[in-house]
Amino acid sequence: MPVKRPPSGPSFLRNRSRFRFLGLTVDDMIRAFFGGNAIVSIVVLALITIFLFKEGYAFFGDNRRNLETYRQAGLEYVDYMRAQQQDHIALTRYLSDLRLRQFRHFTEVEGLSLAEANETLAAFDEFSGQFSDTVENLRGLVGDLTEHASAIKTQFLVNEDKRVQKSQLLAERLIEEAEQVRIDPVDFASGVKVLTGTLPYYRELNEEFAQSLRAVLEAAPAMPTPKLQARLERFAELVGQYIAGFPKVERRLETWDYEDPVPWWRAFTSFIFGREWLTASFWQDWYGIVPLLTGSLLVSFIALLFAIPMGVGAAIYINQMARPMEQKIIKPSIEFISAIPSVVLGFFGIAVLGQTLRAISGIEWLSWVPGFPFSERLNAFTAGCLLALIAVPTIFTLAEDAINNVPRAFKEASLALGATRLQTIGRIIVPASLSGIISAVLLGLGRVIGETMVVLLCAGNRIQIPDFTNGLAVFTEPVHTMTGIIAQEMGEVVRGGIHYRALFCVGIVLFFLSLLLNYMAQKLVHRFRLPAT
Amino acid sequence: MKRALLIAAAFVAATVAQGQKIVIKGSDTLGAKLVPMLAEEYKAAHPGVNFEIAAEGSTTGIAAIIDSTAQIGMSSRRAKATEMSAAQAKGVTMKPTIVAFDGMAVIVHESSPVKSLTKRQVEQIFTGDITDWSAVGGTPGKISVYTRNTSSGTYSDFKDLAMKKRDYAPSAQKMAGNEQIAAEVAKNPNGVGYVGLAYINDPGIQVVAIDGALPTKEAVHDKKYAYARPTFFYTNGEPTGEAAKFIEFALSDEGQKVATKIGFVPVK
Repeated sequence: MPVKRPPSGPSFLRNRSRFRFLGLTVDDMIRAFFGGNAIVSIVVLALITIFLFKEGYAFFGDNRRNLETYRQAGLEYVDYMRAQQQDHIALTRYLSDLRLRQFRHFTEVEGLSLAEANETLAAFDEFSGQFSDTVENLRGLVGDLTEHASAIKTQFLVNEDKRVQKSQLLAERLIEEAEQVRIDPVDFASGVKVLTGTLPYYRELNEEFAQSLRAVLEAAPAMPTPKLQARLERFAELVGQYIAGFPKVERRLETWDYEDPVPWWRAFTSFIFGREWLTASFWQDWYGIVPLLTGSLLVSFIALLFAIPMGVGAAIYINQMARPMEQKIIKPSIEFISAIPSVVLGFFGIAVLGQTLRAISGIEWLSWVPGFPFSERLNAFTAGCLLALIAVPTIFTLAEDAINNVPRAFKEASLALGATRLQTIGRIIVPASLSGIISAVLLGLGRVIGETMVVLLCAGNRIQIPDFTNGLAVFTEPVHTMTGIIAQEMGEVVRGGIHYRALFCVGIVLFFLSLLLNYMAQKLVHRFRLPAT
Repeated sequence: MKRALLIAAAFVAATVAQGQKIVIKGSDTLGAKLVPMLAEEYKAAHPGVNFEIAAEGSTTGIAAIIDSTAQIGMSSRRAKATEMSAAQAKGVTMKPTIVAFDGMAVIVHESSPVKSLTKRQVEQIFTGDITDWSAVGGTPGKISVYTRNTSSGTYSDFKDLAMKKRDYAPSAQKMAGNEQIAAEVAKNPNGVGYVGLAYINDPGIQVVAIDGALPTKEAVHDKKYAYARPTFFYTNGEPTGEAAKFIEFALSDEGQKVATKIGFVPVK
């Protein structure tokens, strides 16, 4: 009698015993390992993002308190007067520029010796000396009020620290020590009253100031040439405008109220649109990201200016026009550049490139180039050249891939219709791969914006919005970047302080910028993707 | 299996046999030349002691003592009131020990005709009130100001002593250390900056006399040179253990001789 077989699958599968560990076969374990790795990466990414935002978000509350203290301790009041003093200093600079022009005229045009030229300018020196002396009283007043306001602010800050200390002691249940910590509340009202009490004296001072300025102007010496005379008259105009601005300052001081609340959005706008990044100041710290953002963008722009022609051009050449021998040499060489550590490139920039570029800028027949000659060897141009070197391999590899992905049929059809090689490349292949090329450029830009070591070493580290009024000469100015400031200042900050959080906010801005660039790159690839053949 | 155990045991033994380690963090003025040389001399006399020296600015040194990540914090300035209270809040007592005196020399390019400046002119140059060399008697050109960065004690001491606590000009370029400032000024005819006394003999630069006084040791001791300050080792309370022995060595005659050789002014 035949044995009844159960009605399940083919016989060769049934008795196969597989190695199982904790109920999983080897296949399942491998699947779990890879899947687990993917999940861990996503989790780590999420943790980094959350940590970044957690630290940075607290900055805005701190900044609002920072701005409030600036107002309550009276520093804003003193800064109105200080701005008036700074304007006077700007006028003094105009005068010394005028002196320089006269000096040049005397030595070059009239051929006087140095000593004689200085003698002729003695009257002008007397005039500018008197001009600078007019501001003495204002400077004295600002100096006194500065000390007073600083004292109020320091007292406030020390109180804050004591408050933290007390809460920490209480947390450790050291009640006696906590009781011993005395916190004398800061009386802003009386402190500010001392400042606002000087307003009548300030008004008198202003009148005297205006009078003495007018008196000095009357005694202005004559200029040797009509052009310089025109400059002197312009100077007189500017002084007139300056004096006319006094009532405005007085009105500001009158209407200032130390209890004016600082709106919540001010903390945000003073960061995003603030034009000054000033830390470790004895007076007031400002956290405005615009100088750093413009520095980053300027350096990236210069880098792309060099990297796009080189990278895309190399990709087109290698893919379409090079002989196999050339391909074998050039492609690996360009990709080798990406293996050079960025700090080595930065060192190369300080040691060699900065010097060389400055020497080149001094060449006579190159002086038509805007910005040449320049005197600082660490500037945006040097950093931009090195960053271009870093960006070229990224752009080259991705652009070459994009061009490679154009179907061969396009090229063959174009050639069959009678187009030359160059016409095929220029009108068929490059437009077809344009989305890939643009996304390669955007990824190169993302790489360059995030580069730290090169810009920290080579960009000059000047935290100031570059002077765009010079036109294209702005390329040779030293700048500071967002990545550079984080690297430079991270070592100094106290954990959890406002400066620490401000740096995290700069990091968040960088994060969003990179996110935006990557998003645009992906969107472009999708949008202009060739239909699947 | 036995071999693996033997190798593991050898690693553990090696780490144990490392010996004492002294972690020193802080000022670049002290940590670039003086402290490494003192460490070398000390190691020669006391084998088995290792040093870890990180010189990233005085603020990092004080912060390291407050966070207890270093045994000695080098600083070229005194701790600020807010730093002292932060230390108190963490139960740390900041104890300074003066290890040498340092002067801050104002340097210009060697081809510059400016040999002497008044204190007011120095203030005006570094705060940006004056932007052209012709205003102080140099060859006409735009002044390029090089300073340290915000983590440096020299940065804030210079603000205190030379600029009446006003802020630096926004056009100042912030360099990472004394050596970099000296290198940039040496290569830029329009450059001006400040360095510690140890760097005034670097090639390509010349020192400017301030109100007639050059930064020599005698001038610093007699307080004739205005920009001189003491440099400190900060510790948590009285120094103990190897750190105490090292500080004692630094203050001894041999240590002070090393300081004099480098260019600092000894304590006595």
